[in-house]
Amino acid sequence: MSKDELNIKDNTSLFKEERYVQQRENKKQFEAPCSEQETAEALAYSKSAEYMEKNFNRQNVVINPHKACQPLGSVMAALGFEKTLPFVHGSQGCNAYFRSHLSRHFKEPTPSVSTSMTEDAAVFGGMNNLIDGLENSVALYKPEMVAICTTCMAEVIGDDLNSFIGNARIKGVISEEYPVAYCNTPSFVGSHITGYDAMIKGILSYLYTRSGIESKPGSGAESGEKLNVMLGFEPYTGNFAELRKILAAFDTKYTILGDHSGNYDSPATGEYEYYYGGTKLEDVPQAANALGTLSLQKYTLKKTQEYISGTWNQQISALSTPLGIKGTDKLLEAISELTGLPIPASLTEERGRVVDALMDSHPYLHGKRVALVGDPDLLIGLIGFCLETGMEPVHIVCSNGDVDYNELKFKDEAEALLAASPYGSEATVHVGKDLWHMRSLLLNDTVDLAIGSSHLKFAAKDADVPLIRVGFPIFDRHHMHRYPIIGYQGTLNLLSLIVNTILQQLDDNNSGFNFELVR
Amino acid sequence: MKYSILSEGDEEPMDPVRKNEFDSEACGSIAPKAKPCPRPKPGEAAGGCSFDGAQITLLPIMDAAHLVHGPIACAGNSWESRGTLSSGPSLSQYGFATDLTDSDIIFGGEKKLKDSIDYIAERFAPPAIFVYSTCVTALIGEDMDAVCRAAAERIGIPVIPVNSPGFVGSKNLGNRLAGDALLQYVIGTGEPEPMSPLGVNLIGEYNIAGEMWDIEKLMNSAGITVTSRITGDARYKEITYAHRAKVNMVVCSRALLGLAKEMESRYSIPYFEGSFYGAKETTYSLRQMAFLMNDREMERRVDRLTEREEARLSQDLRPYRKLLKGKRAVLYTGGVKSWSVISALKELGVQVVGVGTNKSTEDDVRRIADRVGDDTEYIPEGGASRIIKTVRERKADIMIAGGRNMYVAMKEQIPFIDINQERHKAYAGYEGLLRLAKELTYSLANPIWKLAASPAPWDKEAPPYDR
Ligand code: SF4
Repeated sequence: MSKDELNIKDNTSLFKEERYVQQRENKKQFEAPCSEQETAEALAYSKSAEYMEKNFNRQNVVINPHKACQPLGSVMAALGFEKTLPFVHGSQGCNAYFRSHLSRHFKEPTPSVSTSMTEDAAVFGGMNNLIDGLENSVALYKPEMVAICTTCMAEVIGDDLNSFIGNARIKGVISEEYPVAYCNTPSFVGSHITGYDAMIKGILSYLYTRSGIESKPGSGAESGEKLNVMLGFEPYTGNFAELRKILAAFDTKYTILGDHSGNYDSPATGEYEYYYGGTKLEDVPQAANALGTLSLQKYTLKKTQEYISGTWNQQISALSTPLGIKGTDKLLEAISELTGLPIPASLTEERGRVVDALMDSHPYLHGKRVALVGDPDLLIGLIGFCLETGMEPVHIVCSNGDVDYNELKFKDEAEALLAASPYGSEATVHVGKDLWHMRSLLLNDTVDLAIGSSHLKFAAKDADVPLIRVGFPIFDRHHMHRYPIIGYQGTLNLLSLIVNTILQQLDDNNSGFNFELVR
Repeated sequence: MKYSILSEGDEEPMDPVRKNEFDSEACGSIAPKAKPCPRPKPGEAAGGCSFDGAQITLLPIMDAAHLVHGPIACAGNSWESRGTLSSGPSLSQYGFATDLTDSDIIFGGEKKLKDSIDYIAERFAPPAIFVYSTCVTALIGEDMDAVCRAAAERIGIPVIPVNSPGFVGSKNLGNRLAGDALLQYVIGTGEPEPMSPLGVNLIGEYNIAGEMWDIEKLMNSAGITVTSRITGDARYKEITYAHRAKVNMVVCSRALLGLAKEMESRYSIPYFEGSFYGAKETTYSLRQMAFLMNDREMERRVDRLTEREEARLSQDLRPYRKLLKGKRAVLYTGGVKSWSVISALKELGVQVVGVGTNKSTEDDVRRIADRVGDDTEYIPEGGASRIIKTVRERKADIMIAGGRNMYVAMKEQIPFIDINQERHKAYAGYEGLLRLAKELTYSLANPIWKLAASPAPWDKEAPPYDR
């Protein structure tokens, strides 16, 4: 059978056929009795400054949220450790959402189980569910560690994980030594990044405490370990690879604390194995003796950073996602400072190449007005990148920016960064706002490009602005997460994504005199 | 009567639908007792919750606003992620949430809910607002019903509480609770235009990938009108007068059977359960509709239509059936699709060698048993590894399941078709069967499987699975 005979129309082209169009027209009679004129007026109104003000005064309803909940982050964190099974204590729906959410982004399976709490658990507490769940999942999925997080339900009824796990051991469901890490992650506080932080801290402190090791910072150097690295809630598996490449160039020994790239970028060998890669459990207590820790998402990893500098007494270098030339420079300097190693010439050369690429493209980027949506650390990186290319960040929305973190404030840092550049003079930073706010911003004061996750596509389409997909989640494009966006190489990837979108737009909009071959 | 599509293969033709068939338990006085939905088991990678199920059932009411009352979890992780298509309004695509925080948990979120409803009503002017409870709002004892009642009075549009928090049980149960909400608050509250011809309600058809549009087209060409779509591509208004329909068809959703039963007793609307997967089932469904409409002329039209469509389909299917004959599939999907898709596959000559039953009721299992051979394996639970094991042991050629299992299939290099809510192809009706045949052929014939199964030239080890 020839290829053409097999041709199947997808639903976009299929339903453009006349008969379907007709069918749809016929449905209008059921719709809310609103004339086309009224609809047009409402649309125009939604673009007005008056509506924007109303929208920004909105207090009590979130419209099109751009954050997920804490336990989703915990599941990702748990998958960063070798043969570790994420275990969600709550009713079963949450876990199903986490699995599909993460799988839709990474296009990989997500092994994670739930205690499936039901009404009786709501009344009597979820202890039996937790104990049965531990027994079943350990038998079924044979993990080497279970990492439990709570959901809002377990938090509201006040389940005490520590004592439940203890009871599971007493009952003999798991042995005394069997490792079970845990953390509390109520969904009504923070967001996925808070939950990521809680679980990483939960796992580090659990494995460290039970090992009985007394941390001696720097003594790891003798055993060959020098540096701890944390990437945080990292939606790009490519970023892990890029970071490894950089660390290899330094020729330093390191431990990545929380490496889910194995789980989310495993080869198709013909056999699915549940667990791929991840930080080795025995490496965690050793990490307490490292020279220092490099954290690449300082807003995400707040609690973990506190733990490491406090309990492990370690030097911490806390950065935001190292994007762009300056962002990457900071990364290299931090590695060099923590390890005492010089910055390798190969990286300096790579830097030069990427600077060259940025120069090649700068005429197309200069003055482009940009809207940005994302998690705090990603946004800091993106703002820096935009400013150094001459792009002008205009609207910045961070749903899960820190409203209540005291010392370290995303909004302040973002604003200082913007204030330091003439290209940042027009920008406003909106913390705790959602994508419906962003829509108002886009419609009211238009930009050339929007940068953010797939969720932004609705607002971007309404405002007729091209969307560059960066961050989490990216559901509607393939393989974006396999390409790094950090480091010099990542900067180059981001650059080509952006500049080629702009060039494509030029071509799409020009069929006349300046439809050119050479750009 | 000749069933051309079936005379080609080794299938038995299906008996024409007649009175005696109709009198059986599907529509008769001895309605089958609803079986309790299976309880989730702790420690497994189980499916969605009741909240999810309720939302799935109601979200396809496209012009309504759907507000999730709870912390960000339930809405933040789920908004706009289903492939239920709309031919017009898109309000149901919006993710509305009250996003409760810790202080709301302590002091209560009712004020927030009230304000949210008011805001939505003012800014979006929807014909109705559905408000979903979640685990947390149910636990802290929010009186959602009262808030909704007061709001409805205040703003003058229906505000419908959907009491289906996640912890009460499975997704199926949530479908059912959504049906209850429709019965209690929506159906029977409106009247159709005086002149509009009445026909069939499609219950439990969600217009995934536009399947509803194919079905409706088919029904219309036999002169059957759809009264209310419950809920694929629905408008709120059409559901309010669903009680005026002459017939209810429960399409592939076990969990909404209760709705049909209740409508039978309240409004004397006869119902039947049917499916549009496969030519046989499609023909059966159309005939059953016409029969229950009690319209001889319509029955004749249906006969003519189905005969013509089947003949054409049979012609179109010929090349694919040749390729698909004898192919073996493992099917892992929810509830009713587990048996209805088997019929479709059988018509294509594909043998189902393993079938998931974890979300099936006893009746579903009985129907599966009617359709498969003795050597078909039932997969009651166990998630991905169990499915894979079945594929291997039964030497299946293809796996047909939902999105969460897709990536496992890819890891195992097993050809795969998505049959659940994320699919982008419509498989219902005669045209749908042809599409399914093409899609199966596509998946099986793609060169990637050969490439995947052959190791790198320098790698002497054999691939783990010899296909
Ligand atoms: S289980 Fe409860 S908290 Fe989780 S998604 Fe379902 S309703 Fe929400």
